[in-house]
Formats: sequence, C-alpha cells, structure tokens
Amino acid sequence: MRIIYTDVLVVGGGLAGLRAAVGARRRGHDVIILSLVPPKRSHSAAAQGGMQASLGNTVKGEGDNEDVHFEDTVRGSDWGCDQDVARLFVHTAPQAVRELAAWGVPWNRIKAGDREVIMDGKRVTLTEGQAAHGLIAARDFGGTKKWRTCYVSDGTGHAMLYAVSDQAVAESIPVHERMEAVALIHEGGRCHGAVVRNLVTGELTAYVAKATCIATGGFGRIYRVTSNAVINEGIGAAIALETGAACLGNMEAVQFHPTTIFPAGILVTEGCRGDGGLLKDAAGHRFMPDYEPEKKELASRDVVSRRMEEHIRAGHGVKSRFGEHLWLDITLLGAAHIDGKLREVKEICQHFLGIDPSRDLIPVRPAQHYSMGGIRTDARGHARGLKGLFACGEAACWDLHGFNRLGGNSVAETVVAGMLVGENMADFVESAAGELRVSTALVRACLDAEQAKLDTLLHGNGTESGAELMRRMQDIMTDKVGIFRTGELLHAAVEELQGLLLRSRRIGLRTRRPGGNPELVTAYRVQKMLKLALCVAYGALQRTESRGAHFREDYPRRDDASWLKRTLATWQDDFQTLPTLAYEALDVASMELPPGWRGYGARNAIEHPATAGRAAEIDAIRSAFGHADRFTVQQALMPFDHLIPARFRGRNARPGETS
Amino acid sequence: MDSSFDSSGIARPLAPVRPLPEAAARQAQAVPLRVRKSRWPARLDLLQSASGLFLALFLVGHMFFVSSILISKDAFYAVARFFEGAYFLAEPRPWLVSGVVGLVLTVFVAHAWLAMRKFPANFRQYKVFAEHKAQLRHGDTGLWWIQLWTGFALFFLGTVHLYGMLTQPELIGPYESADRIWTGNMWPLYLLLLFAVEVHGSIGLYRLALKWGWLEGRDPAATRRRLRVAKTAFSVFFLGLGLASLLAYVQLGIAHADKAGERYVPQRAAAVKLGELEFAVSRRPGG
Amino acid sequence: MNAASSGPRALTLRILRSSPTEGIAPHWQDFHVEEAEGMTLFIALNEVRETLDPALQFDFVCRAGICGSCGMLINGKPGLACRSLTRDLGALITLAPLPVFELIGDLSVNTGKWMRGTAERLETWIHSSQEVDLTAVETPMEPELAEAIYELDRCIECGCCVAGCGTLRMREEFVGAIGLNKIARFRLDPRDERSDDDFYQLIGDDTGVFGCMSLLACHDVCPKGLPLQTQIAFLRRKMAASGA
Ligand SMILES: Cc1cc2nc3c(=O)[nH]c(=O)nc-3n(C[C@H](O)[C@H](O)[C@H](O)COP(=O)(O)OP(=O)(O)OC[C@H]3O[C@@H](n4cnc5c(N)ncnc54)[C@H](O)[C@@H]3O)c2cc1C
Ligand code: HEM
Ligand code: HEM
Ligand code: SF4
Ligand code: F3S
Ligand code: FES
Repeated sequence: MRIIYTDVLVVGGGLAGLRAAVGARRRGHDVIILSLVPPKRSHSAAAQGGMQASLGNTVKGEGDNEDVHFEDTVRGSDWGCDQDVARLFVHTAPQAVRELAAWGVPWNRIKAGDREVIMDGKRVTLTEGQAAHGLIAARDFGGTKKWRTCYVSDGTGHAMLYAVSDQAVAESIPVHERMEAVALIHEGGRCHGAVVRNLVTGELTAYVAKATCIATGGFGRIYRVTSNAVINEGIGAAIALETGAACLGNMEAVQFHPTTIFPAGILVTEGCRGDGGLLKDAAGHRFMPDYEPEKKELASRDVVSRRMEEHIRAGHGVKSRFGEHLWLDITLLGAAHIDGKLREVKEICQHFLGIDPSRDLIPVRPAQHYSMGGIRTDARGHARGLKGLFACGEAACWDLHGFNRLGGNSVAETVVAGMLVGENMADFVESAAGELRVSTALVRACLDAEQAKLDTLLHGNGTESGAELMRRMQDIMTDKVGIFRTGELLHAAVEELQGLLLRSRRIGLRTRRPGGNPELVTAYRVQKMLKLALCVAYGALQRTESRGAHFREDYPRRDDASWLKRTLATWQDDFQTLPTLAYEALDVASMELPPGWRGYGARNAIEHPATAGRAAEIDAIRSAFGHADRFTVQQALMPFDHLIPARFRGRNARPGETS
Repeated sequence: MDSSFDSSGIARPLAPVRPLPEAAARQAQAVPLRVRKSRWPARLDLLQSASGLFLALFLVGHMFFVSSILISKDAFYAVARFFEGAYFLAEPRPWLVSGVVGLVLTVFVAHAWLAMRKFPANFRQYKVFAEHKAQLRHGDTGLWWIQLWTGFALFFLGTVHLYGMLTQPELIGPYESADRIWTGNMWPLYLLLLFAVEVHGSIGLYRLALKWGWLEGRDPAATRRRLRVAKTAFSVFFLGLGLASLLAYVQLGIAHADKAGERYVPQRAAAVKLGELEFAVSRRPGG
Repeated sequence: MNAASSGPRALTLRILRSSPTEGIAPHWQDFHVEEAEGMTLFIALNEVRETLDPALQFDFVCRAGICGSCGMLINGKPGLACRSLTRDLGALITLAPLPVFELIGDLSVNTGKWMRGTAERLETWIHSSQEVDLTAVETPMEPELAEAIYELDRCIECGCCVAGCGTLRMREEFVGAIGLNKIARFRLDPRDERSDDDFYQLIGDDTGVFGCMSLLACHDVCPKGLPLQTQIAFLRRKMAASGA
C-alpha cells in the first residue's frame, strides 16, 4: 500500500492550484501538487484576453475602483453570485496583478501620449497622461464599465501561468505529474486526501493530507463543441460529488463564448471585440447594434452568444459545409495591432483556417467555454459538507460568477482565490481542526475500492464502449443543453443521459493493460463525467427561469421571486441515476447591490419581494453617511473585511486616487 | 542540483521532501556559496572563433598570392620573394617564411584542437548525430556536418602542406611549386585541400557571423538569407580562383616536367611590369 | 478544399509504437484513415484511437497550438501535431515521439520532467530581494521593454527546439535553446536582480551557451517563432564578455 503524507495536497496545477500551493508553502507547510499534465500545460495557459483588476491606470479606466468592478461583476452574474465573495475578489484582484508583476509577468504597459484605437467601429484618439507612463495597461472587455482588463498581448494566461509555475519551482514545491486524483479519502464529513492513479503505470497511491484543495479547472469536455482543453473533464468536481458529502453548486450555469472559430471550436479572445472587432452576418451587416444598442458587441458573453444564435436562426448565418456561422471582423484593427496585441489569434487563424485575420474575416460561432458551477465552497474556499476539503479556480463554485462570468474575471479569480485559499488552508492546517487523524484501515479501504472499480473495467465482461458513450454524451449536451434550452429538450437530455449512465456501468475494454491505457482512462472518466452532465441537465431542467447563461425559451424571464437561489447537487448513492438537488437562497436583505436590470440584455425580471425594501435601506444608509468616503459607506452596506486574510487587507493605491 | 521533481513516482516512493524554508533559501541565494565558475570556457570559445577567423582571413590573402601565377610566373616569383623579405631586407631570408608558417601552423593546430572539442566524442554521439541529420534534413545542421568532415580532412591535408612549407620555404616559386605539384604528385592533395578549405572556411565565416550575431540588422532572417548567398559566393569564387591557379601550376608543371628541379629565374627582370615591385625585382638574389 | 473532384485522400499514419513499461521495443505500425476537410493530426490521431487502436498513446491538451503538449516528429521534423493540417502533408505521414525526453509510450514523452529539471538548473524565476508591497502602485516599466520580455516569454516548452538540436542529441547535458532563451528572458527583466556574472555561473560553460554549435535548427523549428538565433548570439556575446 503506497501512502504519501503531506500537509497540503493540491489537486491541479493550473493557476489556481499553483497559487494556492505557493501560499501554503510560504506559510511553511509541506505541499504536493498533483496534475494530469505538466503544470504549464494546464488550460490556464490558453487564456488569451486578460485579467480584470481595477487599477484605473489608463484614461479609459479613470475613476475605476473596487466599487465599479464589484457592480460589473454582480450585474454580469445576473445577481447569481455571492456578493461577499465578489467584494473579496475585487478587493484582492489589484494585489494579485501587482504580485504577478513582481513575479515577472510582462503586463503590457501604458505609453504616454496619443494613441489611435478603434471604438464602436470608428477611429478614436486616446491620450494617456505622462504620470501613467509605464504603468500596467488595460483593454476593454465585455460587460465592464471601464477598461479594466490587464493583458499580456493575447497570451495573458500563458504569461501568468509561467510566472506562478516558476514561483512554485522556486519554492521547491514538488509537482507529481501525470497523476490523477480518482477519489477522495473521507469519513464523517472530513476529507483526508485522495486516491491517485499514476497515468503511466496505472498504480494507485493514497495521498494523505491535512488539507486537500481541488483546483482541477472546468468540465467543458462534457460538451462536443467547446473551447476547453481535452483534459478539462471535470474529474476533480466529480470526485467531490461522489463523496456524497460535498456538493456542486449551480452546475446548470454553463457559459458559451461568442467567438470560437468555426468549426474547430478554438477560442479567439474577447479582446478581439474589446479592441474594436465587429460581428457581421452573411450579408456583411454588423448586427449587434440592432439587438444591443448600448453595449453592442461588448455586452456580456451570455447576451452576445444568444444574440448570435438568434441571428443565425433568423436566417442570417453564413452557410458552410459544416453548418452555419457568423463573421468576426478584425481587419479594421490593422496588421500592426494584430501582430502586436493579437498574435495568438493570428497564429490560430493561420494554422487552423489558413487565413490572415488582418485581411480576412474569421468564421465564428458560440461554443461551450466556462463552467460557473463547481464544488460549492464558502467565502474562504472551504468546501461545504466536507471539512479539510478546499476548492478554488474554475473547479469551484466559490460563487464569484453566478450565472455568467465576465471575461477576464476568471484568471483573476484563479489567482485571487489561490492567494486566499493558500492562506486559509495554512490557517486550517495550523488549527486544531487541521490535525491529521486518519486510520490506515480507511486508507486501505479507499484504495481497495478504487482498485476494484478499475479491475472490473479491465477484467470484467462489459460490452459497452467508453468512447462511444463519451461521444453520445457530448452530442446530447451540445444539442440539448446548449445556449437555448427548453423543458422538452432538457427532459429528453436527462432521460438519455440516465440511459448512458446505466450503460457506463457495463463498459468493457479491448486493451487490458493497467497502465498507459487511454481506453481505460476514457472508461472511468466517462462514468464520472456522466454524473456531471446529469447535474447540468437536470439542474437546467428544474430551473424554470432564465438567468445569465442559463436561458430557458419556455421561461424567458429572470425570476428573482422564486429562483434567486443556488442549485446544490449531491450524489449520495452510487446507484442513483440522478443527482439530489437542493437549493440555497440568496439573501437579498444583505446584498450590497440588490437585483435590478443589468444594463444590457432583457429587461423583464420578476422582482424578489425583498428587493424594494433592501434598495430603500441602501438609499437610507447612503444618505445617512453623506460625504463619508466610499470605504466607510461600503462597510456600512456589507462588511466583508473579516473574510480577507490579514496580509491582504490593505487598501489598494491608484495613481489618480488619494486616500 | 538536487531535483525535487518526481514525474510520476515510478522510480522511487515519494517521501515528502522538506526544502529550505523560503527565507532561508533567499539567504542562501544572497550569499554566493558557489565556487566561481571557470572563465576558460568563455576564453576557449573566443579563441576558437578568433583562430578560425584568422585562418579564414589568412586564406583569403593566401589564395590571392598563390593565384598571382595567373598573372605571370614573375608575378608569383615576386610575391614569393616578397614574403622572404626581399624588398626590405638586404637579402631574402626563407626562414622568414618558415616563421610565418610556424605561426600559421600554431594557430592551425590551436584551432584544430579547440574545434575538436566539438567533434562527437564517441561512436554513440556520432551515430546519434548522423541519424538526427538524416532525419531532420535541416540546412544549417548539414553545414556543421560538412564543416566537421572538411575540418577533419584539413587536419591531414593541411598538415602535409604546412609541413612542406615549413621545411622547404625556399622552394616556393613558379617552377618549384609547379614541379612539386605535378612532378611531385602533390596535385591530388592540393585539389582536395582546396575544396576542403574553401568549403570549410566559407561555412566557418558564415557560421561565425550567426554565432556571434554580427550583421544582424533589423531583420535577422533576411540577413541570414543574405549571408547564405555570400557564403556560397565566397566558396565559388575562391574555388574558381584556386582551380584556375592549380591548373596553371599543373600546366606549368607538365611543361617543365623534363627540367624538374630547376629553380626559376625571372627572365626579363627590368621589363617586368609590376608597378612598384619593379624596382625590387631587379634586385633579386642571384639574378 | 481542392479534392472535391477526386474524393478524400486515404492517409497512412506510420507511427512509432512502443511501451517501455511493458518492454515493447519501438516498431513502426501503419494506420489508415480517410482525410477530412480541415483535418489536423489531432483529429486524425483521435480517430485512430477511437476506431482502430484504443491503446495508442499521445498527448494533447489545448489542441490549439498554445500549450506545447503535442510536440512530436512529423516526417522526421519536430512540430506541434495539433496544428499540423494533414492537407500540408503527403499521404504517408510518419509520426515518432520526440527524442531526448524520457519515453512514456508511443508518441508520448515526459517533457515535463525535463522542463522542471531545466527550471531548477537555470533557476528560471525572478530573483528579487525586495518584498513587494502589493497595495502600492506598481513600478513602471517601459512599454517596449515589457513587449520585448513577452517576446521571449512566449516559449511554450514544447521541446521542439530540444529535439531539433543536434548538439543536444549528442550531449544531453546541454541546456539547449529553450534554456538559453529562458536566461535571455530573465536577463532582460529588470525585476530580476541577477547580474551577468550570476548568469555566467549558470550557463558559462560547454553545457551552456558555449556548447551551442549554432546549428539553428532550434530557431527554424520553434513553432512559436522565438528569436532563438539572435538571443543565443546575444547571450554568447554577453557571457563571453563576462568571462573573458
Ligand atoms: C480558450 C480559453 C480562453 C480563456 N481566456 C480567458 C481570459 O482571457 N480571461 C479569463 O479571465 N479567463 C479566461 N478563460 C478561463 C480561464 O482560463 C480558466 O477558467 C482558468 O484558467 C482555470 O484555471 P484553473 O487553475 O482553475 O484550472 P486549469 O488551468 O484548467 O487547471 C486544472 C489543473 O488541474 C489538473 N487536473 C485536472 N483534473 C485532475 C485530476 N483528476 N487529478 C489531478 N489533477 C487534475 C490539470 O492537470 C490542471 O493542471 C479562458 C478559458 C479558455 C478555455
Ligand atoms: C585541422 C584543421 C581544422 C579542423 C579540424 C577544423 C575544424 C573545425 C570545426 C569542427 C569547426 C566547428 C566548430 C564549431 O562548430 O564550434 C571549425 C570552425 C571554424 N573553422 Fe575550422 N578546422 C580546421 C581548419 C580550419 C582552417 C584552415 C580554417 C580557415 C579557413 C578554418 C576556419 C574555421 C572557421 C572560420 C570556423 C568558425 C569558428 C567558430 O565556429 O567559432 N578552420 N573548424
Ligand atoms: C604560411 C603558411 C602557408 C604558406 C607559406 C603557403 C604557401 C603556399 C604555396 C606557395 C602554395 C602554392 C603551391 C606550392 O608551392 O606548393 C600554396 C598552395 C595552397 N595552399 Fe598554402 N600556404 C600556407 C598555408 C596554407 C594553409 C593553412 C592552407 C589551408 C589549410 C593552405 C592551403 C593551400 C591550398 C588549398 C593551396 C592550393 C592552391 C590552389 O589550388 O591554387 N595553405 N600554399
Ligand atoms: S523555444 Fe520554441 S521550440 Fe523551444 S520549447 Fe520554446 S516554444 Fe518550443
Ligand atoms: S539547434 Fe542547438 S546548437 Fe545551438 S543554435 Fe540551436 S541550440
Ligand atoms: S495540444 Fe497544445 S500545443 Fe498542441
């Protein structure tokens, strides 16, 4: 029996996992990181566009601060997010950017003087002040009031991931690569680590830890058409679900990104539109202003994606052999801008489409992109229902994003959550609750149980093909649990997925070798992924309203009266074929920003009974505080300081701000 | 460096490693605990390039001198005597040539020694490289391979030639050289030597420019293309020149074969039209 | 796009199979797939795995030319399989794992281990003695400098340059172009306090910059188009100056 002991086990070597690991390590604890792939290959590397943080350095970011970022985030989430968390996040994001700057991320910097940019299809001259010269620049992104998205050309995630990963090396944190957590070791509501499968040899090892953190990223691969990497299969979330103790939040909240190249599904960044790119239809007509006269191409992603699909349905799509698509036009940005700030986009267009985006239009169509849902945690990143288990990054439902995440808020979330969770895990490990009390009998039982499952697959007499089930599931999800959802489609999807889940228990393999066996990997993963897919489809079926990215054609209105709540899915019994759903109400009475219109998209929400009251209360507080500074007012509205680890409490300085 | 990395735990069971605490690690970095690294690798690399450059430039001159035979026997004769110091000393002194040869030989040996460090050290390395080259079919990798082999050849060919020049400096002259080449059966060696050295030298210069980033300019890719053209032109020109000269020697050698061994005596010293050399030639020894 | 009249091509993927854990020595195996429009080697290999041999090992992550996982020898040349379109290749495509790196099986190699080793050996992180105040406005940096650093930071550690370097294949202790590029990157970064002398300690010998024989295959195969040629030359000058 192979057991490895450590203080902190971090499952996932993406931005979130690495940053959390560095934090815990710097507090003096032993940390081991597990990853399916070398950490620098994690999908965080694919983030192109940028990271939001209210530095307020550029002219177009003037006046930006935590408050504005907070409001954008909450509106973006369609009021689905946890506002405490959003506050925590917007407060820490500037520190995260600055920390990354110190760690070597070559953020694009502001050049003083005049600069031509494209806004709303027109050339505009912006003038940056001398004082801002050399400070971190920002670009425009969807759903934001200010230019707030810090970027490194269009390789932001890459530059960030490399900087953080190098810090992990500097801290001598061991990363055990090609190791996959396949189950959590837990008992009585306490998590003790994970059972881990070596993807090369097939061996199982138990990693026993005082604190375990799941930072395994999103689960986009339950869809056929997705911008996600092929390793984004959500196994981290699935093993939390399989404990029966932890729960997954808001799994039906799945984001579709407007611009992935057609048909490959490879993303071209929102920065394309942020920098001035336009969406056009078959006739060459710029259609977004027709639908969204205010934010146009730069409404939030859920809105733009829906409008695009709507436009295609209305018969304006470009027909091609693979189906219909629309055009993204960035030719107006000019070759120099594209070569400098959109190089990955250019490379992708060259290699996958054989076109030059400075001269040709890019064929695009929305595709699955981001999982707002995940392991439900509290504001400290501690998983609900399982002590000693933490989660951060896309794998978590910390609930910063609610039902729609803003572009640039995700990589920001990964590092911010990593910073906070790193500290919080260290606190936990140092506390009495963090004591390691685990019997080897339990560990052995967990190992044996997992081994038995693998042996059944390897040597059982199943006849189903994992690859086939995977393909079916992906088709169902893309066709029936997509951008436009209806009860009918969702119902069919749930039925079929249940069928697949039953079949997945009878998978048989052609290759019986225990290690280095991709067929085996597909087999056990599809079993887990089907559960996630069911959480998504079933959650979507139950949620009879439209909110953020979750759009029900049969219930097109946001219904705060009955649905201002978070879906919590659990899977207590392995023989269930549906998750158990519970709901957690969002407390309007404690919100800093009560539900309202987002400023784009539909304006037809059904109001929550407490909204008016809270709004009046807020008005009263604001007027009572009169000329007090914004921090004091904010404190009065919704205090959140107690949630910030001490070392991140300071106030963020901004060039234009005196405080 | 001790690696804290374990790819997958295949090899050894993983015990949690306890590295230096962060602060201590910082401390360790601040104090240079490491022994200062030898400066020699830098110097040797510079010397290798310098010696190569010297030899290459020397050869440019050398080829022009040797090709003076294409102008006339007397011209070559004059050049040969020039190097014996005939024009500034009272008397030509062939040991001067030996001296120069000695110097060149030293650089030559030094260069060969330095360059040999880059040779495959054993058969495994040799085989790996050969396979790699065949598989990759990459221009500059191929050029290095050529340089390796030409260098290897030069080791022998050049040594023979230099040894001859070192020991018999006085036997440099139109007839002397022609006889050596034809009657002395040296022409095959020279033919090989010529090809080897021109190819080696031109590739060497080209690679030298890339190695140290000379002439990079605004567009290094374009420079590299131009350098390639220059390299080929260099080879072609000097091969042409060398072949023409060698042919001239061979012809002269054939014509002079029955009188082989006879020293050359300029025929019409006063009439030789060689610009400012005219005066000097008239004072040739024994003339 | 072209073959509408003649029908899709039949492709042969000739793959170097092996499985060190099971003691299966490298041998070639042919697989036949029908070409589809816009087909990449990522698509082709997955088709092989799904329909012909579920045990075939290879590594893809981003399938978009961003993460550097899928380096392999494509017709003998190192490249990213995910962004190689089959239409740019002949009907017979040979695929082999990258050399130098530890072989995991079939087309899969352990680049991660090698890269981590390089990172530790060359200490590829910002060395700074200052504790940064995270709430203070960041230190300014010239925009051009930031861009120049990014230019070198774009390396995706795919290992193509490593596999393409004849020197490295002969002498595996050589840091390779990727290592030299990393040093050039940190040398350029004002936030890294190391001096040329410190860098000399790391790469001032024949396993470092002076071991490079300017074969330039690294530069020519780098899928991200990093300026390896000029960076190595530049470092050589600096290190020679520091060492002379
Ligand atoms: C194409 C694309 C572009 C994007 N662009 C942006 C952008 O511009 N701005 C923005 O804010 N966001 C962007 N995002 C979103 C953002 O990149 C991701 O949400 C974020 O990087 C996720 O980081 P992470 O650390 O949570 O997970 P990941 O980076 O996905 O890392 C997951 C890690 O977990 C490991 N892992 C997974 N499962 C297991 C297991 N079972 N056992 C062990 N290890 C495991 C993996 O090996 C990996 O190391 C983009 C996303 C995509 C897909
Ligand atoms: C015994 C004879 C010689 C041998 C064995 C030899 C070998 C080599 C080798 C192997 C290299 C490549 C070194 C590297 O890649 O780093 C080289 C480089 C070079 N050689 Fe020679 N060579 C010889 C003679 C000459 C001569 C006669 C010349 C003059 C034309 C010359 C000019 C050069 C030049 C210019 C270089 C490039 C220098 C460098 O890369 O630093 N070599 N030689
Ligand atoms: C100081 C040193 C040298 C002297 C004095 C010298 C002199 C000569 C002379 C006099 C000749 C004419 C033929 C002969 O007389 O044999 C000759 C030819 C030649 N030498 Fe040298 N040489 C020297 C160094 C070298 C070196 C280092 C090389 C290259 C490795 C070289 C390569 C050649 C070649 C290729 C020829 C044939 C020329 C032709 O084909 O026209 N020489 N040299
Ligand atoms: S330098 Fe280029 S070839 Fe080498 S690892 Fe980096 S990206 Fe790949
Ligand atoms: S191929 Fe190798 S030898 Fe140098 S120039 Fe590139 S590292
Ligand atoms: S799979 Fe990421 S680069 Fe090819």
